[in-house]
Amino acid sequence: MKTRSLGHHQEQLSLLQGTLDVLILRTLVFGRQHGQGIARAIQQTSEDVLLVDHGALYPALQRLEAQKWIAAKWGTSANNRKARFYAITRAGRAQLSQQSNRWRRLAAAMARVLGPDPANG
Amino acid sequence: MRSLFRGRTHADFSAEVQAHLDLETDRLIADGMSPDAAGAAAQRAFGSVALVKERFYETSRWIWLDQLRQDVRYAWRGLRHSPAFVATTVMTLAIGLGLLTIAFTIVNAYVLRPFAVRDPDGLHQIVWHARDGGGQGFRWRDYEDLRRRDDLFSAVIGEHTRFVSSRGRPLMAAVVSPNYFEALGPAMRLGRGLGSNDADGSGDPVVLTDQAWARLYDRDPSAIGRQIDLNGRAFTVVGVLGPAFTGLGDQPRDVFVPLTTRWQARRGQANEPRETELIVRLQPGVAAGQAEAALTPFLNRIIEKQVDLRAEVRPQPSPNTVSVAMLAVLAPVFAAFVLVLVTACANVSNVMLARAIARHREMAVRLSIGASRGRIVRQLLTEGLLIAALAGAAGLALAAWGLRAAALALFSTLPPSVAPLLRLRPMTFDYRVFLFALGASAAATLLFALLPALQASRIPLIDALRGQGGAVRRGSRLRNALVAGQVAVALALVITAVTLARNGAAVGRLNLGFDPAGVMSVNVRGEQDELARPLTAGLLADPRVASVAVTSGNPLFNQVRHVAAAPAHSSAGNSTALTFVSPEFFPMLRIPITRGRGFRPDEAQSAAPVAIVSTATANAFWPGGDPIGRTIRIERPQGRPVDELPEYSEVTVIGTAGDIVTGMLVMGRDAGHIYLPMTPANPHATAILVRGRTDRELGADAMQEIFRRVVPDPQVFEALPLGELRDLQMYPLLAAGWVGSLLGAVALVLSVTGLYGVLTYAISQRRKEIGIRMALGATAGAVVRLVLTQSTRLAGIGALIGTAGTFAVLTMLNTAIHLGAISLVDIGAFGAGLALVFAATVVAACQPARSATRVDPSETLRADA
Repeated sequence: MKTRSLGHHQEQLSLLQGTLDVLILRTLVFGRQHGQGIARAIQQTSEDVLLVDHGALYPALQRLEAQKWIAAKWGTSANNRKARFYAITRAGRAQLSQQSNRWRRLAAAMARVLGPDPANG
Repeated sequence: MRSLFRGRTHADFSAEVQAHLDLETDRLIADGMSPDAAGAAAQRAFGSVALVKERFYETSRWIWLDQLRQDVRYAWRGLRHSPAFVATTVMTLAIGLGLLTIAFTIVNAYVLRPFAVRDPDGLHQIVWHARDGGGQGFRWRDYEDLRRRDDLFSAVIGEHTRFVSSRGRPLMAAVVSPNYFEALGPAMRLGRGLGSNDADGSGDPVVLTDQAWARLYDRDPSAIGRQIDLNGRAFTVVGVLGPAFTGLGDQPRDVFVPLTTRWQARRGQANEPRETELIVRLQPGVAAGQAEAALTPFLNRIIEKQVDLRAEVRPQPSPNTVSVAMLAVLAPVFAAFVLVLVTACANVSNVMLARAIARHREMAVRLSIGASRGRIVRQLLTEGLLIAALAGAAGLALAAWGLRAAALALFSTLPPSVAPLLRLRPMTFDYRVFLFALGASAAATLLFALLPALQASRIPLIDALRGQGGAVRRGSRLRNALVAGQVAVALALVITAVTLARNGAAVGRLNLGFDPAGVMSVNVRGEQDELARPLTAGLLADPRVASVAVTSGNPLFNQVRHVAAAPAHSSAGNSTALTFVSPEFFPMLRIPITRGRGFRPDEAQSAAPVAIVSTATANAFWPGGDPIGRTIRIERPQGRPVDELPEYSEVTVIGTAGDIVTGMLVMGRDAGHIYLPMTPANPHATAILVRGRTDRELGADAMQEIFRRVVPDPQVFEALPLGELRDLQMYPLLAAGWVGSLLGAVALVLSVTGLYGVLTYAISQRRKEIGIRMALGATAGAVVRLVLTQSTRLAGIGALIGTAGTFAVLTMLNTAIHLGAISLVDIGAFGAGLALVFAATVVAACQPARSATRVDPSETLRADA
């Protein structure tokens, strides 16, 4: 599915392994949300740079729920549709802070290794 | 949370996916798309719904169930196609599991069974201690007194037990206070328990235990209301207890009756025997120590002629008393049963290994089309589990049958006068036994199926698909190790069995030092020593009786007291057995007087300070000297009941007698013994020996008849032929020998078949090699040697391990157990065991060797792979 034609979305980045979990947890910090809302929120907050494969979202949610980092409950959406809402748990918050640090360190390290952009510099 | 415990349903997940698509479509329509285009775009952004659902399915927790169902179906199909394989493996395992289940059921009945009364921890027993003795027997009026002490006790139960006769059939009766059932609250199966209005003696109610109900009425529910004869009187059955409760003591009861004057004619009189045990429940807030302090003045009032009286209120022991010593005895026995199961597992493991190797091409195909290794292992383990489940069920059936057979064998081989008195605990197959069988089967599966499964999944694909068994060599090494282990276990069990049998035979050959044939032993129950004189007179008056002797404890009853004794003027005393006997004792038991003379009637009459010592004592006190006329100093025994010995503090030796066995046979003859003279009037006369005019002892009926002439209640005497007491003492040794032999035989047969299987398989694998050898000129003898070499190498390694292990364990046990007539490290047994195992090896190798010589070189060389 990751190879499907994207047309006008060519500049979007595919997600690295493990990043989706962090993004979901981060999104849920702002309050409970259903799957479609999470997908939209990730896309918007990354200013449409990150592509979230909607289908890939659900196994990830399933995995996070099994780890007890998020909890789910059926509810009603703003436009009155039934949806399964997810909320972050205490364990989820701990996991998020740990993972965010890791990603920040990784990103900083990558930036140092790559140095200033040669094309622009 | 709910989804984590129950697993999420597929429908729930599908609903969520649909909700996503709907929300996305709504959103796109709101952004200005047409509904059709929005639906398509939402679908496109989501990707394949089917794929996502499949991934959900894989991560869900139900997949293992689906796969298990698949595995079971597949395994079942595989097993159905090889009935011979199933039959051998299930049968082999069932024998091992069945034997172990039998062992566990017995342990369960005697050790693990809970105390089936209400609040068993709250029950306490009242015991009294004094300087010279103690006891737990009270009189009925003591019960009546304590029953009123509701400042201390919330309930007081009185009970005494005795054998009663129901038309010649002995029954163990508990004579209980009216509140017994109310205070203990045991579960009833039928009818009611005894109540307070049963005590007035108007009716004669009786409650049966489950076992007695089965034995007397064959579990007929209409037994309620029927009449049963007890000691010649009709009683009415009012209730049947549930199987869990058999009484308070460790001796299972048959019937419960309320205490009335029918059971104790002297109830309430001053000379009522102290035979009632008192069990109490303390009032809330009353500590045992408080009750003890309150009871001591009471004891001083009711118990005469004792000094330093004090009470003890101790927790009522559960009928299952698990002591460390008992566990130490049980552990090796249980280990032997486990070892037999391990041997059975090794056999099955071997068969499964061969089967796995035969199926390696199938495994290779499954692996190459994408089955994971784990899945293959799981698949093979499922097959093992299926076999174990079948074997477990068969093992339970075998155990049920085996227990019944063992009980029958027990009752038919016990000495005839003991068998009707023996009561076994009910051997119920409760949930503990089922859980145990389940656990043992599961453990067995891991033992026998895991190795072959791991082995089978490790095959190199290319070789296997090409038809070359890459795992064969490794597999055969594993099989060899299993067979060597089997031989080791079989050897250990055979050596143990032979050791037990030889010790049993040695103890059986032991010369008692006296002749028990034709002698009846009578013990006076309780403290009724004033009964010895009338009984002796009654016996002597009977024309069938040739002679009567009284003692303070008959030989083989292990009731001999020990005192410190020493030659006069010597400082330290030795612990020496001491028995009071009447002058008839030595001639009646044909104990030789080796020096000096026996007691004279006037010495017995006057309690003269004379003694006869055993040869061992004479040799110990005066080595090489003449003991006649010498003086012995006997110290007053401490803490022993009513030992008024001042006049015996110095006694003169008038003779020596041969050494005899008075205690346990396994301890051998007495290390030392001093005899003092007495008559039936002496308070020490609590046991009687009777020799009839013929060689056969007087029967129990004749004895009962004489007893009845002396006292109205013949139950105060228990009569046993002295010879049967020897048989009774021998019995555990014989039984241990039988059980050991059974286990040894089973293990030996299993290891012979295991060895046979390995050799047969090895030869089928080496047909080509053998064919080449024969083509190159090897004789049949050389081929046989080849097979025998392999066989003896395997057995040799096993024998080495087995001998060393058994020697270590038996040496350890031998130092832990001190029994004079028993030696656990028996070189003869080791020799016999090794010879037996060697012979078994040759038997196992015979057929494979013969088939090896029949290999046709021209055929095997032509055949490929």
